[in-house]
Amino acid sequence: MSAIVATQLTKRYGSLIAVNQLDLVVPAGSIFGLIGPNGAGKSTTFAMVATLLRPTSGGLDVMGADPCKKPRTVRRRMGYMPDVLGVYDNLRVDEYLEFFAANYGIARSEWTALIDGLLELVDLGVKRTAMVNSLSRGMKQRLSLARALVHDPELLILDEPASGLDPRARVELRELLKALNAMGKTILVSSHILAELEEMCSDVAIMEAGKLLAAGPPREILEKLGGAKTVRVRFANDTSETFTVSDDLEQAALLTRLVVDDRRDVVEFVEEGGGLEQLFLAITEGIVQ
Amino acid sequence: MNPVLGREVRERMRTPRAFVALTIFLLFLVLTVYVVYQGNTSSGSFQVDLARQTRLGRDLYEWVLSIMLILILFFIPGLSAGAVAGERERQTLLPLQVTLLRPHNVLIGKILAAIAFLTLLIVASIPVMVVAYLLGGIQLIDGVKGIAVLLLVSILVATMVVSISAFAKRVQTATLLSYTFVAMLVLFGPILYYTMQIVDTSSGTDRGNAPAFILAVSPLSLVADATAGENVYVGSNPLSATRQALVAAKGMTNNSWFSWFPKDDFSGDFGNRGQRIGFPGWGIGLLGLAVLAIVLFLLAQRRLRTPAETER
Repeated sequence: MSAIVATQLTKRYGSLIAVNQLDLVVPAGSIFGLIGPNGAGKSTTFAMVATLLRPTSGGLDVMGADPCKKPRTVRRRMGYMPDVLGVYDNLRVDEYLEFFAANYGIARSEWTALIDGLLELVDLGVKRTAMVNSLSRGMKQRLSLARALVHDPELLILDEPASGLDPRARVELRELLKALNAMGKTILVSSHILAELEEMCSDVAIMEAGKLLAAGPPREILEKLGGAKTVRVRFANDTSETFTVSDDLEQAALLTRLVVDDRRDVVEFVEEGGGLEQLFLAITEGIVQ
Repeated sequence: MNPVLGREVRERMRTPRAFVALTIFLLFLVLTVYVVYQGNTSSGSFQVDLARQTRLGRDLYEWVLSIMLILILFFIPGLSAGAVAGERERQTLLPLQVTLLRPHNVLIGKILAAIAFLTLLIVASIPVMVVAYLLGGIQLIDGVKGIAVLLLVSILVATMVVSISAFAKRVQTATLLSYTFVAMLVLFGPILYYTMQIVDTSSGTDRGNAPAFILAVSPLSLVADATAGENVYVGSNPLSATRQALVAAKGMTNNSWFSWFPKDDFSGDFGNRGQRIGFPGWGIGLLGLAVLAIVLFLLAQRRLRTPAETER
C-alpha cells in the first residue's frame, strides 16, 4: 500500500518549473528520504503533499485522498513540519500544544493526557510549563515535531528537520523518527545531511532542478548505478592512499589484498563519505534553477 | 471558543504592550477632561450656572468621544496590522494552515481578539465619561449610544485592518498599509466631497451638487451623527464640527440622484426628534463601512485559502 502517489506532478511559477513531471511512490510504513540540492523542488513537493500548494498539473494522492479536492481529509491524517521553525514565543510549551490540539478539534478533556504523552515522546516533559522562547533550537524542533503529531497522524512530512541542530540533537531526532516509524507512521523526510538519511531511510528519492533522478532503497539505487565508494587507507609509515570500490565485497577484497597479499601495515581503513553521499554526487550535476 | 482568539488574548495580555496602550489611552482621556474643564471654568466665578454647566458636560462628552475615536483609530492598526502578517513573518502561518482551522476561523479569531482589547479600552474609559454625566450634560442613553457606536466603529475598522493584514508579507508593510487605509477612511470622504463641490461650482451655475452621502461614510461622521442627541449641540469639538459640515452638505444638495442624501435630523427642523424622517445619516455611514469591511474580509479569506496557486 502507498501513502503518497505522485503521477507526473508538476508545479510551475511562470516560466520556472519548480517540480517537473514527478512520479513518486512513498510506501506506507516507510521512512522515505527526499534528497536534492537547494532549489531541487523538495519543499515545493512537500507543500503540495501538505495541501498548501495546488499542483499545476499531474495527479497526487495522499493517504487515499486528493489534497486539492479533500484537503481536510488529508490534514486529518497528515502531520507537517515545515523547514522553518515558527513558534509562538509568548506561550508556554503546554499552551502551544493545547492550541494545536484545539485547532484539530481534539476535545479539551483529552488534552492533558495527550500533551503528557507527546512531551514524553519528544523528551520535553521537564519543559512542560517553560516559555517557548526559553527553549533551545533543538528543543523547539522537537516541540514542532510534537505539534505535527498532536492529532496522531499516520503520515509525517518533515522538511529539513535536522537543519541547524547540533550532532547530539540530530542523533536524538533520528532515534525519535525511528521510534515513530516503529509505531507505524510513514515518514517523508528531507535533509541535506545524507549520512542521516542513509542511516534511517528505507527508501530515498533524489531530485534535481525539479526532476526525479532516482528512487528506491539506497542500496538498490547504488547497485543499479554501479555506485562507487571511496576508501581511505592509512599505513604504519604514516602514508595514506585512497581506493575506489563498488561494493562491500570489493571493499573486503581490497583489505585482504593489502594486508594478506601485499603484507602492508594498515593502521586505518575508512570509507569516505556515506554511500548515499557518493550516490548523490554521482547522479546530480549541481544544476541551479 | 475560537482557538485563535484564546491564543491571541493570552499572548497579548502577557506583553507589556497592552498595558502601555491602556495607560496611554486613559491618560489622554483624563488630559482631555482636564483641558476642557479648565478651558470652560477659568472665569473665576463661583456662582453655579446650570446652563453653562450643562454645556460644559456636553462639550466634555463630545471631546472625550472625539479623542476616544481618534485614539481607537490610531491604536487599531498598531495592535492589529500584524495579525496575519505577523504569523507570516514569524513563519507560524503554515503550521496553522495545515490544521483543520478554516481561513475564516483564523480571521474571526484575530478580529475578536482585537475587539476584546478595544472593548477593554472603551469600558475602562467609562469613569471618564461619567464626569460629563455628573455635570448634567448628557443623559444615560447618550453615554450608552456613545459606547455602542465606538464599539461598532471598532468592530468594523478592526475587521478591515485584520483583513488588510492578510495581504502583507511583513508586519511593517501591513502597519503602513493599515495606517494609510484608516487615514483614507477618515479623509477620503471629505476630500472627495469638497473637491467635487469645487469642480461643480466652478463649472456651472448650480452649486453644491456633490453627493452629500459621501461625507457620511466615515467613522467620524458615524459617531458624530449617532451621538447628536435631541438638540444638535454646536460646540468647538471635532464631532460638532463634523455635524455642522454634514448639515451644510445637506443644505447644498438638490433633488438629483447624484446629490441624494436621505432626510434625517439634519434636514430642516432638526431640533425635534419626533420629526426625524427617512434613513439616518449614521445608517448610511454604518452601511458603507460595513460593506467595505465585509468585502475586505471576503478577500482576506480568499487570500488565506489553501491549497493555493502560490506560496503565501
